[in-house]
Amino acid sequence: MNHSIVYSNVRINESTHSLRFFMESPVHPGQFIMIWAPGIGEIPISFSSVNNPVEITVKIYGEPSKYIANLMPGEKIFYRGPYGRPFTGVTGKKLIIGAGTGIAPLMPLVDNMTSAILSAKTKNDLIFTDRIKNLYVVTDDGTLGIKGFAVDALKQMDINEFDMIYVCGPEIMMKSVYDYLLNKTDRVEFSLERPMKCGIGICDSCSINGIQVCRDGPVFSIKDLKNMDEFGRTRLSFSGKRIYL
Amino acid sequence: MNLNVDIGIKISNPFILASGILDENGYTMKRILENGAAAVVTKSIGTSERQGYNPPIIYENDPVFLNAVGLSNPGIDNFKDEVKIALESGRPVIGSIFGKDAPEFSELAKKMESYGVSAIELNLSCPHVNGYGMEVGSDPDLVYEIVSEVKSRVKIPVFSKLSPNTSNILEEAKAAEKSDALVLINTLKGMEIDIASKKPVLSNVYGGLSGKCIKPVGIRYVYEVKKETGKTVIGVGGIENVNDAIEYIMAGASAVQIGTAIYRHGIKIFNELNSGLIEYMDKNGISNINDMIGVAIA
Ligand SMILES: Cc1cc2nc3c(=O)[nH]c(=O)nc-3n(C[C@H](O)[C@H](O)[C@H](O)COP(=O)(O)O)c2cc1C
Ligand code: FES
Repeated sequence: MNHSIVYSNVRINESTHSLRFFMESPVHPGQFIMIWAPGIGEIPISFSSVNNPVEITVKIYGEPSKYIANLMPGEKIFYRGPYGRPFTGVTGKKLIIGAGTGIAPLMPLVDNMTSAILSAKTKNDLIFTDRIKNLYVVTDDGTLGIKGFAVDALKQMDINEFDMIYVCGPEIMMKSVYDYLLNKTDRVEFSLERPMKCGIGICDSCSINGIQVCRDGPVFSIKDLKNMDEFGRTRLSFSGKRIYL
Repeated sequence: MNLNVDIGIKISNPFILASGILDENGYTMKRILENGAAAVVTKSIGTSERQGYNPPIIYENDPVFLNAVGLSNPGIDNFKDEVKIALESGRPVIGSIFGKDAPEFSELAKKMESYGVSAIELNLSCPHVNGYGMEVGSDPDLVYEIVSEVKSRVKIPVFSKLSPNTSNILEEAKAAEKSDALVLINTLKGMEIDIASKKPVLSNVYGGLSGKCIKPVGIRYVYEVKKETGKTVIGVGGIENVNDAIEYIMAGASAVQIGTAIYRHGIKIFNELNSGLIEYMDKNGISNINDMIGVAIA
């Protein structure tokens, strides 16, 4: 088990914290680590910044994330990784489409050539709106920006403008973006979120059509997803029971 | 060149996916069967849905590999569709099951058989109802009862996967004598502590040790059990490359299972093992794999 010392911890909304710490191994946009809360649990978390001190962004939803979000500067943070296949970098114009906490792993891609569609349930759930200039905000309840879903904002844009589109969020949201972009462009990458127990391609909990999201992903191109009919349709629960999305 | 072996079922090469590794989702089993594995053993399935232990469920620090998954599984009734998907590959699926007593094992075996599996693998490393960390496999009377009852209830071959966490594995092997094949070995009990946090690295504290560090133990048990019982043996434990597999075969294994090595080598290990074996047999003028089984036994 590796550990580092927490460098900073900033609360970015009611239930979300961004923590920074130094890591020895290089990290690439789209990769994740398994963070250990000793005696409590372990969860996968992606990077919202990949430059040292790297940054992770945690939303509190259970005991392990609560422990991690409350780590103070100077305390030890335990992890293994980084794991996973990163996003493909491009130099030109980029569009990121993120929903909920799925916004965080897209943040390392942001530069002055990046536009973003950020979506959340409600205004207070939106994060990182201050880090992006060309921003389109969407909320389910219309408390900020367009009322609706990420794909509604996408439909109003000229996608040919972008050299690459990157998507991350709940699978249902990504499926709607996928359906819309299919046969329009091949320059799209999705970062999949599935339950992960081992993070290293052993336990099968994250698998999609025989492919391990933790090891072969989490980033897949729109072309890869064409061959995965489990995408947006079914996955396994924590026990291994098949769930229809 | 003949790579076919007979372990109660005839399989096209000696390489089988071990229970508990990438065998919970039918699509994953199907992909592995389409990429060089002669058969797959499913994750061990019980009567009802179980969440298993909280993560961390694995700990890796080369060469140590520990796991404590806690027999998470969807329950036998929910597993039917996964077997069905895996069987689309046209290759054999071996159904692994665990239970607390003979009636439970039999019920599970019958259901697995009805799903179309080619054989049953009894996971005897599951917890004994007596508790105290004891495993079913360390109770020879119970093993005998389970094997006898399952054998009488299903028509397909029955394999017993023995627990190495017992004082006398030969006694366990003899108790399981009615099985069509013995599978050796399951993980060895172990644990590690992270000294920086002063906490055990697995949420369950105790785990099962697997991977290359257990290979000498697996080889020894395969050798000893083959030598003393003459039964068909399937070897498992720490196989990382074709030389390890050949070693198990020479110790008496008719086939081998691969689990932990997939972490380092990926699913492609099955195709690599097949081509490595062909190359070895070619170089050494061996035309039939069956001529290699147990050649090291003195
Ligand atoms: C993550 C993990 C889960 C396992 N789950 C099971 C299981 O459900 N049933 C079983 O009989 N063996 C299980 N095993 C044991 C393996 O099938 C195998 O006997 C052991 O790992 C030794 O082989 P290996 O070194 O190739 O992994 C598991 C092993 C690992 C690493
Ligand atoms: S999380 Fe275990 S295989 Fe991906």
